[in-house]
Amino acid sequence: MKTLCVALLLAIAGTPLGAQQDVSARLAGRVPPEIAALVHQLAMGAAARGLPIDPLIQKAVEGSAKGVPADRVASALRALTAQLDVANAAIQQAGSNRPDTEAIAAGAFALNAGISAKQVTALALVSRPPYSTAVTLRVASTLAAMGVPAEQTVDLVTQIIALGGPATDVLGLPGQVMAGVSQGQGRGVTPAQAAAGLARAAAARANAPGQNKPKPQHP
Amino acid sequence: MTDFHPQVKQLLDGELTLADLAPELRAEGEEALRLLAAVDREPVTLPGTLGARVLAELRRRAEAPGFWRRLRLRPWTLVPAFAAGAALALLLSPPAPTRAPAAVTVRFVLFAPEAQQVALAGTFNQWDPAATPLVRTGAPGVWTATLTLPAGQHQYAFVVDGARWVADPGAPAVDDGFGRRNSVLSL
Repeated sequence: MKTLCVALLLAIAGTPLGAQQDVSARLAGRVPPEIAALVHQLAMGAAARGLPIDPLIQKAVEGSAKGVPADRVASALRALTAQLDVANAAIQQAGSNRPDTEAIAAGAFALNAGISAKQVTALALVSRPPYSTAVTLRVASTLAAMGVPAEQTVDLVTQIIALGGPATDVLGLPGQVMAGVSQGQGRGVTPAQAAAGLARAAAARANAPGQNKPKPQHP
Repeated sequence: MTDFHPQVKQLLDGELTLADLAPELRAEGEEALRLLAAVDREPVTLPGTLGARVLAELRRRAEAPGFWRRLRLRPWTLVPAFAAGAALALLLSPPAPTRAPAAVTVRFVLFAPEAQQVALAGTFNQWDPAATPLVRTGAPGVWTATLTLPAGQHQYAFVVDGARWVADPGAPAVDDGFGRRNSVLSL
């Protein structure tokens, strides 16, 4: 029994150490020492709060690769940590007590793309299987990055999910919007207009005889 | 781990009572029962599938030749196994099962007629400007690279002549937090 307890204690103590070593290995020789120290500090706190640490490592490496001054990289890292916290809280608002790290990272990216915390919650609420919260948020943020207004993005994604089709229907939305823009290039069709066209088509499908009506989503 | 006397193990298995033990083994028997009770008092929530997985593994090992064939498992031996399983379940995160991401082949294209070299840097290559060079193909000034990437969201930029970071004009982009733009690719 003593052996088991010692083994468990070692396993518990070894996890943060392993994470620290992983962070060190990924930053070694790629970021200045002061940025490495800050990433360590932020990453350990983030991991303790259940947040992903990969985006922090990526942002530090990205900043250094681009030759960004250390103080500006530090500001970006702190801002990203704050976004991860907000995304985590927003997803928890949808009823997920312990969101997975992919969903939190996708939520932070959505915030960066212009989706509000309330909208992140709304998207997490409708993301019930087979729709994953991470995929829904990624798609919404990509649409927002394309120039589709955030509110219109949320409405479109919600509408498509309510149709009850396969998860690929949601995943394919950015490609469909882009195709709509390409097809209407001569007429100056914007991403927002292409997205509106998809929303109209989805509404027509929902109202077509024999189609499943959209079902209200509950947490 | 403490190696109990065979009779004490029988006590833990419920095959003997304390009174059945030889007097010199009773103290050991009481200690074993106390340890077992201490383990049992801990509220442990186990994944619904853990029992089936443990039993399946035991069956697999029982069928395997060699050492595992000779090992006889008593019910009490499962107690530390379940406790360890519960501790590991708490340590491992995220709790939800994750699927192996599918790979998608993507072709990146940049029209840069003045460039001497063009590379691709992004979340998929640790933002290493030397990792993924583009090559001139087809029409003059057209640079391309074809990569197989895991499904998910990727951010990237082109690096022209080793110094100029350029967002992909054919892809959506977001603020990179440093006053520039990163292109976004969702697969």
